[in-house]
Amino acid sequence: MSLAHDTRVTVRPTAAVQRSRLRGWPEIDNPAAWAVAAILLIMPLIANGFFLIEIFATTLILGLMALSLMFLAGYGGMVSLMQLTIAGFSAYMVAVFGASGNANISLGWPWWLAVPMALALATIFGTLGGALAVRTEGIYTIMITLAIGAAFYYFTNQNWAIFNGHTGINTVATPHFWGVNWRADIPFYYIVLAVAALCYFAVDYISRAPFGLALQGVRDNPRRMAALGFNVNAHRVAAYAFASFVAALAGVLQVWNYRQISPGSVSVGACIDILIIAVVGGITRPIGPFIGALIFVLLRTFALDFLVKLGLDGNRFRLLIGLGFLAIVFWSSDGVIGLWQSWRRRQRSGAASSSGRHGREAGRESGQGSTQGSRHG
Amino acid sequence: MTRFVERHPAWALIVIIAIAVALWLIFAVWPQGLEDAVGRKRVFLNALFNGITLGGLYFLVASGFTLIFGLMRNVNLAHGSLYLFGGYVGYAISAATGSWVLSFIVAFILTALVGVLLQVLVFRRMEGQDLRQTMVTIGLSIVFADLMLWACGGDFYQIQTPNWLIGPVELPLVTAVKSSGEPVYLRYPLVRLVIFAASVVIGVAMWLALNRTRIGMIIRAGVDDRDILAATGVRIQLVFVVVFALGAGLAGVAGVVGGTFQSLSPGEDIRFLLASLVVVIVGGMGSIPGAALGALIIGLAEQLGSVYIPTYAIVVTFLIMVLVLAIRPQGLLARR
Amino acid sequence: MAGKLVENLAKDPPKDPAMDSVAQRLSVVGAGAALELRGVTRLFGALAALTDITITVRPGERRAVLGSNGAGKTTLFNCITGDFPPSSGTIRFFGEDVTHFPPYERIRRGLRRTYQISALFPGLTVQDNVYLACRGVSRGRFSFLRPGQNDALMHAAENLVQAVHLSGVKDQRVAELAHGQQRQLEIALALAGAPRFVLFDEPAAGLSPTERAELIEILTSLPAHIGYIIIEHDMDVALRVVESVTMMHNGRIFKEGRPQEIESDPEVQELYLGGGHE
Repeated sequence: MSLAHDTRVTVRPTAAVQRSRLRGWPEIDNPAAWAVAAILLIMPLIANGFFLIEIFATTLILGLMALSLMFLAGYGGMVSLMQLTIAGFSAYMVAVFGASGNANISLGWPWWLAVPMALALATIFGTLGGALAVRTEGIYTIMITLAIGAAFYYFTNQNWAIFNGHTGINTVATPHFWGVNWRADIPFYYIVLAVAALCYFAVDYISRAPFGLALQGVRDNPRRMAALGFNVNAHRVAAYAFASFVAALAGVLQVWNYRQISPGSVSVGACIDILIIAVVGGITRPIGPFIGALIFVLLRTFALDFLVKLGLDGNRFRLLIGLGFLAIVFWSSDGVIGLWQSWRRRQRSGAASSSGRHGREAGRESGQGSTQGSRHG
Repeated sequence: MTRFVERHPAWALIVIIAIAVALWLIFAVWPQGLEDAVGRKRVFLNALFNGITLGGLYFLVASGFTLIFGLMRNVNLAHGSLYLFGGYVGYAISAATGSWVLSFIVAFILTALVGVLLQVLVFRRMEGQDLRQTMVTIGLSIVFADLMLWACGGDFYQIQTPNWLIGPVELPLVTAVKSSGEPVYLRYPLVRLVIFAASVVIGVAMWLALNRTRIGMIIRAGVDDRDILAATGVRIQLVFVVVFALGAGLAGVAGVVGGTFQSLSPGEDIRFLLASLVVVIVGGMGSIPGAALGALIIGLAEQLGSVYIPTYAIVVTFLIMVLVLAIRPQGLLARR
Repeated sequence: MAGKLVENLAKDPPKDPAMDSVAQRLSVVGAGAALELRGVTRLFGALAALTDITITVRPGERRAVLGSNGAGKTTLFNCITGDFPPSSGTIRFFGEDVTHFPPYERIRRGLRRTYQISALFPGLTVQDNVYLACRGVSRGRFSFLRPGQNDALMHAAENLVQAVHLSGVKDQRVAELAHGQQRQLEIALALAGAPRFVLFDEPAAGLSPTERAELIEILTSLPAHIGYIIIEHDMDVALRVVESVTMMHNGRIFKEGRPQEIESDPEVQELYLGGGHE
């Protein structure tokens, strides 16, 4: 019961593109991708501190969490609702092992010890959760991972010894070294951008490596994978391990961003937000989660003004998110990218119909469209 | 039963010993040493009864969830919203008319109606697409939660217990013996006992309906093998609508119950959704007896946990789920 | 085409050192049978899909399993590959007791199968499908590194794709292939790596006469050391590619023998050629 079965995109890959994808980076011959990369790199020149951190860094961090879900759901067919929980666990561990305002809890390790510790523990946590989730199939995964996420939320609320109950851990220390305050707006933006880019390319790269291909095979037909010599569950757990690491990285960035962590950040609603981000952006390609995160963050930041302008109650942000999510689920099999692509295709095929080409060839010429289409599995 | 004993003699022995210990703990007067070690018997019995009655409430919520899942493979993550909706409706009716019983009826009808609308307008269009349906229920739960927050605000509501149910009742269970030799009996809120009895009645009625009536047979056949349904020429859509209405209506009734002996506020929807998830994961998806067993286990674990290991109560619940998934991933009473 | 395939299979030595060691051990032990089932029974609830099946197949032997629908043929395959473990009985593969092995362990020891209804990876390309098959029986299943220019498995996969006449569509997603092409791909997946024994589940289902001829050519020209069991309703196909036949009926073995004996057996004709099969 993989996601891809439900959301199969009709974009056809083409031989030429596919061959070039086997070894090279797909974005290299895509001008739009270069433009986006350039804009992201010079962003501190364009945007002020508010936009840089509140919009773009936050987008990239949420996008990273959603990317870890996209990896599991899009390639592995496993919709995990605990990715935010893993990130939150990692954030808590940074706060607990590192230094914070809650001296009775924090151990005060330097960041270069606390962070690897947090990453390792969060990855283990996510892998164990995954090992539990893969014991059942398909749709049960959602239920089990949601239960894990909710249990963690209630636990952080109840536990004071490590998680400091509902107040959480505040004034978490951020790294200072080489004379730079890395939590200052511009350095922090570049850290986040670097980590996000790294994870994005890693996911993209792995999708064509044996591990990623095998994962897509597991998604499409687990039984056949076993009949080809693959240990299907081991592959699934390994996928959870990788996705957990990505989510854990996002958690470290998150706790540095807000300098605090509390149960509110790992609530069930927040877990579901990650799913919404990934689905709205498009769950079959690594770029989708980041697009979804941008939409989500923009909405969250400006919904108040927007709704008031429409003469509505500004507090109805969640309603807007819910309705938008429903609309996407109803009308697009692949998030906003899917919508955009089918629109592009319609435009193309409309223009090309006179010369007798059909949609598939039209797709090949719309560089971006077919590049991304071919990545779909 | 005898087959179970034959197949798993060790497990059967453990179960029998556990039951015997539990019975002794309930009926015997605790020796002083035990009271010193784990606390007063009254506390234990109260936690036990709270656990059992909470289990009754969980069963009401989870049975609808498991029925809908079993027949339609629809993981209805908006089930918690239906619970909360039923609770708010019940509160409104009981506040307006003062009738507790009427609030149950109206809550059942209205939530069942919402269920029917959902099935007819939404889920019928995406039959067989498990994941898409689940996504839709997630979206719906967000929309419902915000609409209810809009309508009812963030306040706590509690439904007024009717006069004839207020106050404790003395049960024939000795909690302690006074120095004069006079036994002290357990006093327990009547309303919780009545509600528990009602949920047992509902559970038994559901079991009978599923096992003894024609439509019940059809539903059960559908839970086991959905292709059978299509083959029997039954109007499958009608069966789906009926089951969805029943499942949603039960969630609504549970909302009134929850609103009576706990309280209603935003966030309760998530809490009861989680409870339903854990109950059906433990008990077995699609199984009514499984939901009953799971609800009892989780209710007891939560209440006993919160008395004896307060900061780790949620961990106990969670560990039970982990244990079941590790040993019997399909759930305790599921067939597959 | 078939000649090419044989060439590829012959050229391809076993990649997995673990498999080499198995082969070595077997040559020492001297395996009498490629596949040996003893008293295999499989129950579904109260229903017995297989009852007391005992079969011995020599290395390199080619055998057909015939029987009407519901005779238990595919269940037999599922028990041999481990998709469903048998309820009782033992299964030995080249002398090794594999009864309780998970499917992938049996596959890594040289067992292969095809599926009656194509079980492919519709979201992946033809080339990737075959590549996965090659990867599954070699090391590096968890590799995070993309295959390079001279990746041996990539070449093996390309050769295999060529051998089943799918080079022209190797970069298409499997979901877009025609039925016949999917059946050919199904066979390619089962021949990846170094198969020692293959289970073909109705490979000719839905094929055109030309495609059937090609299939027969593939089967008859497989290297001599590769044995197989084939389930096939088409007697013309089945009896031309095997040297022995097992008849199944109601989950039991009904008759065993040479193709000619079976074909002329009056009981068989009564039961199968006359009744169940038209």
